[in-house]
Amino acid sequence: MKSSSLKRHRISLFAFCTTIAFFYAPLLVLILFSFNESKTMNWSRFSLRWYADLFMHSRDLWEAFCNSAFIAATSASVSTLLGTLAAIGMYWYNFKFKKYVQVASFLPLIIPEIIIGVSLLIMFGVMGLKLGLFTVFVAHTTFCLPYALLIVSSRLDEFDYAVVEAAYDLGASEIQTLLRVIVPVSMPGIIAAFLVSVTLSLEDFVITFFVAGPGSSTLPLHVYSMIRFGVSPVINALSFVLIVGSVLLAFSTKGLYKYILQK
Amino acid sequence: MRRNYGPAYTFPVAVWITVFFVVPIAVIFLYSFLQKGLYGGVVGHFSLAAYSALANSTLLIVAATTVFQAMAATALTLILAIPAAYYIARSKYKTLFLLLVIIPFWTNFLIRIYAWIAILGNNGFLNEFLIATHIINSPTQFLYNQYAVIVVMVYTYLPFAILPLYSTIEKFDFSLLEAAQDLGATKSQAMVKVLLPAIKSGIITAILFTFIPAFGQYAVPQLVGGRDSFMLGNVIARELTVTRNWPLSSSISVVLTLVTMIGVLVFVKLNGKRETA
Amino acid sequence: MKGSTVTIRNVSRQFGRFSAVSDVSFEIKKGEFFSLLGPSGCGKTTLLRIIAGFEDPSEGDVLLDDSSVLSLPSNKRHVNTVFQSYALFPHLSVYENVAFPLRLKKTKENELDERVRHYLKLVKLDDHIFKMPSQMSGGQKQRVAIARALINEPSVLLLDAKLRQHMLIELDAIHDQIGITFIYVTHDQQEAISVSDRVAVMNEGVIQQVGTPAEIYETPANSFVATFIGETNMLQGNVVAKNNGIATLSTPNCGNILVAASQNVEIGDAVHCAIRPEKIRISKSKPVSDDSQNCIEGKVDETIYTGFLTKFFLTTAFGQQLKVFKQQHGAKEASDAVRYGDTAFAFWNAHDGYIVEARRP
Repeated sequence: MKSSSLKRHRISLFAFCTTIAFFYAPLLVLILFSFNESKTMNWSRFSLRWYADLFMHSRDLWEAFCNSAFIAATSASVSTLLGTLAAIGMYWYNFKFKKYVQVASFLPLIIPEIIIGVSLLIMFGVMGLKLGLFTVFVAHTTFCLPYALLIVSSRLDEFDYAVVEAAYDLGASEIQTLLRVIVPVSMPGIIAAFLVSVTLSLEDFVITFFVAGPGSSTLPLHVYSMIRFGVSPVINALSFVLIVGSVLLAFSTKGLYKYILQK
Repeated sequence: MRRNYGPAYTFPVAVWITVFFVVPIAVIFLYSFLQKGLYGGVVGHFSLAAYSALANSTLLIVAATTVFQAMAATALTLILAIPAAYYIARSKYKTLFLLLVIIPFWTNFLIRIYAWIAILGNNGFLNEFLIATHIINSPTQFLYNQYAVIVVMVYTYLPFAILPLYSTIEKFDFSLLEAAQDLGATKSQAMVKVLLPAIKSGIITAILFTFIPAFGQYAVPQLVGGRDSFMLGNVIARELTVTRNWPLSSSISVVLTLVTMIGVLVFVKLNGKRETA
Repeated sequence: MKGSTVTIRNVSRQFGRFSAVSDVSFEIKKGEFFSLLGPSGCGKTTLLRIIAGFEDPSEGDVLLDDSSVLSLPSNKRHVNTVFQSYALFPHLSVYENVAFPLRLKKTKENELDERVRHYLKLVKLDDHIFKMPSQMSGGQKQRVAIARALINEPSVLLLDAKLRQHMLIELDAIHDQIGITFIYVTHDQQEAISVSDRVAVMNEGVIQQVGTPAEIYETPANSFVATFIGETNMLQGNVVAKNNGIATLSTPNCGNILVAASQNVEIGDAVHCAIRPEKIRISKSKPVSDDSQNCIEGKVDETIYTGFLTKFFLTTAFGQQLKVFKQQHGAKEASDAVRYGDTAFAFWNAHDGYIVEARRP
């Protein structure tokens, strides 16, 4: 029985193992060589010099990191706030421009990133905006908004509208209903929208590439410019730090995820 | 009755998405019908030059390359993703395996591309290894070709294909496979005639999640591609920033946008049909 | 503040072309337990939502104590609702759900606590009051919803929920205790009849009859009410004679039938006559007949034993089916008991029949 069930899954087991090896091999190589004394991808001996370099002699990189964190925090906050309001507005009410907003806020999800980047670059030119942190913030908010809207709306799917009517029936004003009932009940969706927006913002390279100006380089942009100069052990070290950082972050927010997934 | 607060709640998003998405796309559309300026920008004369320039043979080759590379990456992704997702869905350690699939993607997208440069590059790990073991004498060029672009795209999109496939396969009633075999189907017949139709919506989602971003790809060919593997996204950027032919950049963008939207619509329709059937 | 009178004046509500409520008028007295009864989709919930303020009527007016409330939004009306889905706030505990209206008004903590506990006690929920709604059973949720709707001390309580039998009895007691107006929406005629002071029967957006449960049961205004409330036999026929308040109907399937007739029924009218099955008696032998007695012979083609009564289905020679309910008097079956397949006689007094609809040709 056991051997036959093993046999049954031979192809899928092979595909799964290949996938996992495919995923991890490059990252393991990176991690290994981040501890390499030599600057080349030829193993000499163990050393932490690239980590020292990363933490002590990479001011530009940390500046870019701070930019990334700042942009992620601000654009995720604004897109979550606006997205939540619009999700609430479009879920329970009908009005003239609703269809328009539905379509216009869905399209960025399917249009290639480069188009969004290019069109924003041209738009900022037309508006006479100087490229910098502000234009990056605007661009990130724009591509996060549709996701925030979608995530909060899907949370509202589980919302019984009678609950809103009940609040109103019991004497709550519009603003009291919003703050005391609608927002607390959709809070898991709002938090999820914020986390997804932060992730998207930190990840983005293509759109930022077009709309960033001098002094507004984000971490991905900085990594890009480093990669263009070829293999650098500092990037190896950075990779490991980022992997460890995101794994730690993911596990420390495990409770948060449980809260988001609750019904 | 409650007042209609919908417009008030939605207004900020309506304004934002109009100013920073709809109008910019409209501007691109407009620019594609104008004449190119001498030093970039546009001149306010109607012109179809940017569209007639699309018929240019090098551009057509780039378009063909784009379609080919996106299709190849999608096909390879599916070939790996369907059995891998099937294995995870039937395994006892679903959560652990899913986590294993997701973890590498908590690193930055560029780091994941860089990992391949560090391995396949001229002074990358593989070349150093092959030289050190005297298999070759001088570095071989593994990067800067179509294969590199396709492999890295597969690497980038594989988890986005595995996750939707997993969630549909997980809902599949596996006893149907046994029922099919009981009725005389071979194992592979059961898979093709019973499993694949049942997970069609997962496959369509996986294709959407792979093909659409691959089709509009810019960064991967820019970093690991060569002359033969440049895609439309790269041409758009080049025409915009290097050649400074904004109308041409715009007309390619318009075509890329329309093709993508039509593609999505077709797939969404296909998916919808299955659900009503 | 005690209960209010509620006046519905020519209220209509259209959704597109569909008319959910058409030209409805009636008055609910102060402190009454009033039911809106009708099949699903009859417009009763729409009417309730208009009273609550969740919908506006297309036409007409709603008055509480003689003043129109249409301009008041639902959060300003002295009306509270127990929702069909209970609509408890999922993020608040039972206690906080009930306290919600008081928190909005920034009621002082000790007064709030006292009132919340009072109303929770009223609905017999003293423990588990700090649990979340998701941890409560359906019946408990219902109690929370009732307490929450009562804590504002509304002058009218709207009940949109399907109430369980024992809850209904308790609610009746609460109603007697606090004396405000209750409006209960239901499709269950049994429930409506058992607790209400008065009932409005609705169908297709139109009020069919308003009256006490007994009026509605004994003197239904039309054949819809007669068939919707309880079980009934409907006979159609033409009035061929009338004397001393007794009309003779000629029916196609039952021969001539005698029925009590009011002044406005005249010879030549086409009428529907309702006879409740429990008012018809059945026996194997032909009963001694008097002047106002109807007697019909038929074949028993089904009997259903339900415990306290037995239902007989009798088909006459002309194909008319009659339902007859007979209560069990003794534990033992009598020797002359009617059985399946028997030929039997169904008989009733002319005064037990009721003409519900008369049409002049």
